[in-house]
Amino acid sequence: MEQIVGIEQRTQSKRVIAFHNSPKPQHKMGMGTAFGHHGETIQGAARFDNNVTERFLVTLPCSELSAQANFIPSRDLQGEVVVSSCKTKSKQAAEATLRYLNRSSFGGHLELTSNIEEGFGLGSSTTDVVASIRAVGDTFDTTLRPEIIARLAVDAEMASDAIMFDGSCVLFAQRRGDVLSYLGSALPAVHVLSVNTAADQPINTLATPPARYSDWELQCFRALNGMLRRAIRMSDPNLLGRVATASAKISQHYLPKPAFADILSIASAHGACGVQVAHSGTVVGLLFDAHCARSATNMAGATKDLETIGMAPDFGFCTQLEGLKDVS
Amino acid sequence: MFHDQSMFQDYELPRLTALAPNLIGASFFLMKLLPARFVLDQAERYGHLKPGGRICETTSGTFGLALAMLSVARGYKLTLVSDNAIDLILQQRLRDVGTQLEIVEAAPGKGGIQRARLDRLHKIMADCPGTFCPRQYENPDNPSAYAAVAEQISERVGEIDCIIGTVGSGGSMSGLSRILRMVNPDLNVIGIDTPASFVFGQPDGARALRGLGNSLMPANVDHCQFDRVHWVTAPEAYQATRELHRNHALFQGGTSGAAYLVARWWAAQNPKSNAVVIFPDEGNRYTSTIYNDTYLQSLEGWSDRLPQSPIQVDDPRAEMPVWSCFDWNRQSINDVLLEKEYAHE
Repeated sequence: MEQIVGIEQRTQSKRVIAFHNSPKPQHKMGMGTAFGHHGETIQGAARFDNNVTERFLVTLPCSELSAQANFIPSRDLQGEVVVSSCKTKSKQAAEATLRYLNRSSFGGHLELTSNIEEGFGLGSSTTDVVASIRAVGDTFDTTLRPEIIARLAVDAEMASDAIMFDGSCVLFAQRRGDVLSYLGSALPAVHVLSVNTAADQPINTLATPPARYSDWELQCFRALNGMLRRAIRMSDPNLLGRVATASAKISQHYLPKPAFADILSIASAHGACGVQVAHSGTVVGLLFDAHCARSATNMAGATKDLETIGMAPDFGFCTQLEGLKDVS
Repeated sequence: MFHDQSMFQDYELPRLTALAPNLIGASFFLMKLLPARFVLDQAERYGHLKPGGRICETTSGTFGLALAMLSVARGYKLTLVSDNAIDLILQQRLRDVGTQLEIVEAAPGKGGIQRARLDRLHKIMADCPGTFCPRQYENPDNPSAYAAVAEQISERVGEIDCIIGTVGSGGSMSGLSRILRMVNPDLNVIGIDTPASFVFGQPDGARALRGLGNSLMPANVDHCQFDRVHWVTAPEAYQATRELHRNHALFQGGTSGAAYLVARWWAAQNPKSNAVVIFPDEGNRYTSTIYNDTYLQSLEGWSDRLPQSPIQVDDPRAEMPVWSCFDWNRQSINDVLLEKEYAHE
């Protein structure tokens, strides 16, 4: 981290010098966007080679969900960011970004719009925070690296999702804001049918206590990580589904989803690769191979059965936007 | 930085070799290094083993060698309780790395050699408070340790249909099955034992084949994981060990031969499924026995011919003069044996 900060600050200070030479600086409104997610493909903890226990997750990004932030800089506010009520994490993150950029002589107004509902584990908070950090960076023409955004986000939020890593798939230590390993460019292409198992009972995800995994579960997560690395390397949706299902089953011991067993058997009956969950939320996703011709029929069948048990899917999306296109 | 907390990280995991299009051999240097290391890690973590402390275990096999290697590397004192069955080369190696060896003899009429070894172990534990005993047969960290192998198989091979391996303490096969079944509940698990071993219900007796089977019932054997059990005799295992060497140039020990015999047969029977077979140790300890033709020909019941398939038995207590198998169907040992009791009434 020290090194990364050093590099960013050096480039930054060069720009600052250039800036002071030009007369009357004007700062534009900065804009930032961030995609939300649909919970995780895996979330757990394991002991790594240095014998340290690390909590980690691999986010399942969802481009249907997003937040936009506009940052209007102001010299009158001096390090303070004004934002509509209840977006305190975004405010803290924006202010921390100003400090990080050595721009605390500025403050500003932050406007946030989002289509993500809170309390279901879809990353509404982190998405706001990341969009805000990017908007502040944009004001000063700085594209912050995901590793830096991750640190700023965790400082504001305590724990954050890995959505700042657009275009790469990382094993992310959500409480340290650190990448444990880079797994590849993208998850295998799967269609996700989104079921909200408790739409009337949103939960405070940040207040959810971290799971206290048993020694056995800590060991199991090692094996799951091995399979996940292969799933991503080989772009294998079935392996991804296996891993996600196993992680979801462990999660049932800590934050059980209603009707999980029923959803699992519907997924299996309709040829799904598996299911994944928001490990600190209420949504469950049924995963279908995006390159399999039967998936459309399978998803229609699963949707029907899910409706029967009162768990109608809210929406669907694909992990790779080009997922269904015929390459040939 | 080079993290090698275990001290033998690169020795712990097996090397994978394709033996057939649908069969992968996982050859260990010394399989027991993995559970021994993990058991010590956990003991250190929970304060059962202090720096410079003493470890004591009863063993005549490779678990003792693994503990001896780790004790040297990590600065522990090690006492191993064994009997005259322990081979001389192993004794020499253990003494060379500073292990204190206690060789006990059976007291007549007092529960045999296993009892005598346990009695000595308990005495040492009582005399030296703070001594850590790994208890490989009961310690749940033994099966848990094999998550590292499941990780390796999952990453290198992906999903497999079947895992085949010998059963002694129950650690490797029970641990691997439980973990791999988290991602693939349909995994087929085949355990290999030897006649006169108590583990899968045979009446306990003298056994020529070492490194698998047991006279006692280790708590770490999770019988409900096994779909099918095979019993392989010593001459068959030795012969198969040589064939593993001749056919694939893998120089492994006798338990590996027993595993190879069963795995080769299974792979031929199930060409559309893939399997991983576990080879627990290397052949160096057996140069004067399994790899010595004169020795083999001197064995009682030695035959150059190896059965092409097992005899299917309907009772795990049956007499097994040759390679036999039984459909265990993931039952507990009590269920299997009770069912047989009733069948005989």
